[in-house]
Amino acid sequence: MIQQMAVNGLLAGFIYVIMALGFSLIFGIMRIVNFAHGEFYMVGAVVVLFLFGSMGVPFFVAVLIGGVVCAVLGVVLERLLFRRLVGDELGGMIMSLAVGIILQSVALIMFGPSEQTVQRPFSGTWGLFGAVVPWDRTVVAFCAMVVLLAFYLFLKYARLGLAMQAVAQDPDTASLMGVESGVVYAASFGIACLLAGLAGALMAPVYTIGPYMGELPMLKAFVVVILGGLGSLPGALLGGLLIGLSESVLSTLLDATAALIASFAIVLLVVLTRPTGLMGRRTR
Amino acid sequence: MRKAILFAVILVLAALPFLFGSRYIFHIATMIAVMVPLACSLNLMLQIGQMSMAHPAFMGLGGYTCALLMMKLGVPPLGSLMAGGVVAAIFAVIFGPVFLRIKGVYFVLLTYAFGQIVNLVFQEWTSLFGGNSGLYGIPKFSILGWRLTQVSQYYVLAMSFASMAFLALRAVERSDMGAMYRALNEDEMLSRSLGADALAWRIGAFTFTAFIAGVSGGIYALYIGFLSPDAFGWRLTVDLLLMNVVGGANVILGPLVGAIAIVPLPELLRDAKQFQLLIYGCCLIVFLLFLKNGLVSLLAPRRGKA
Repeated sequence: MIQQMAVNGLLAGFIYVIMALGFSLIFGIMRIVNFAHGEFYMVGAVVVLFLFGSMGVPFFVAVLIGGVVCAVLGVVLERLLFRRLVGDELGGMIMSLAVGIILQSVALIMFGPSEQTVQRPFSGTWGLFGAVVPWDRTVVAFCAMVVLLAFYLFLKYARLGLAMQAVAQDPDTASLMGVESGVVYAASFGIACLLAGLAGALMAPVYTIGPYMGELPMLKAFVVVILGGLGSLPGALLGGLLIGLSESVLSTLLDATAALIASFAIVLLVVLTRPTGLMGRRTR
Repeated sequence: MRKAILFAVILVLAALPFLFGSRYIFHIATMIAVMVPLACSLNLMLQIGQMSMAHPAFMGLGGYTCALLMMKLGVPPLGSLMAGGVVAAIFAVIFGPVFLRIKGVYFVLLTYAFGQIVNLVFQEWTSLFGGNSGLYGIPKFSILGWRLTQVSQYYVLAMSFASMAFLALRAVERSDMGAMYRALNEDEMLSRSLGADALAWRIGAFTFTAFIAGVSGGIYALYIGFLSPDAFGWRLTVDLLLMNVVGGANVILGPLVGAIAIVPLPELLRDAKQFQLLIYGCCLIVFLLFLKNGLVSLLAPRRGKA
């Protein structure tokens, strides 16, 4: 029982981590709260539905294309719309909200409100310390870990990754050191959308696909990010796994709504005691 | 001068339903009058730099409180209406200090989560709130034995509250309190060094606007006679923001103009319902990029090119 809850929690947690990482990245660098984040998750899933579900493209290829589509969409939207509102927190938020409802309504117009499913590329279960682990969730969690590792290495060693960290820490100094802020903005928005798209694409066979599927993952990303600390990437990792675990325990013992309310209560407690989240930096 | 003309136009618009008294026009006018206090509440929050996503939830809390008090306990309508506002305000006083602890973004995220969770409770706690199938049979409004049955009477009720709320919020905007809020928004450090208690002022604004939202919810419940959680969901948040952005988010007059422009839209777009959100989104982008201070800013005398 305990092992099962732990396994379920970690499996769900890794997807929350990926969603929260992208969200936190955009905030850390552009100071924009991206209300469209869940919609990129939805776009990734829709690409998989189309390529893997109806055209028979191999699953992993479809997932990769789903991620890339979101990344390209993200870069274009950043350049056209968000770039003009950098530094304007309120304006940026409202803009992301507008982009979100546009993406959602385009999906609604194209596919209708009905929920669709994709056949599972993996089936069956395996055992781990007495817990039953479905293969499809295992693959999702494994891919999520690979993505996380790649993202970590990118931030740590790539020039662009280092530049992104510099801008997040101090945009003025970074620009004095010759970091081109425009490139960094576009890259971070693109990468964040890539992460959201990959998460949605990976989860496509696990849940149903519809225009509103992004709302719950986005709400969870919000909760994770406040818990971990806005703009803090280790915080997103810790927060995502914690929320995944607490939800798994509470939804086994009570139900899913109670679990969501409980994670909100946990977040309120954390904000009361550590206002900037578990690993957040103190801001001005 | 231009503002005087605008107010005159708004007054004429407000009187129009009585001239062309069809039920349909009264219905739209009543919905505008219900939305104006909400949009103006959000405007005060935007003016202090805090985008609240909790106000639809406050409206819902007020609406359900008002309806349930009348249905289960037989409390008189006016008392229930006020109680709805008070319950919303109590929630704001309890959660305000936590939500407002850090300025800006955390507030948006926390109020968003709060709104979603309050809505989930409305949906899941079916024995009390009726769940997604809704709460039926809310009694009509009555006072001193006089019962409101016509749409036009509800229009007068909603309109009188809308006027009171608008005038109260405008008074706040113009008073020392409004000056304090602008100072806090512009330079918090400096204002605090002069002795302003930033947190207390913000909690005050949050609570006051929550009260207004709660009473609006009650009026909505009495008028429609039926409540379901999706009336207070994410869509309403988007609508209220749209009213502020289209009308002008930096003056209290903005959302009034915005509500008059936006509330009738769904009726005009009836044949293209699925395009409605798309149009809303495009409107938001156009206004954000090209007319940042909304329609009201067109009235202001043009400044020299600088």
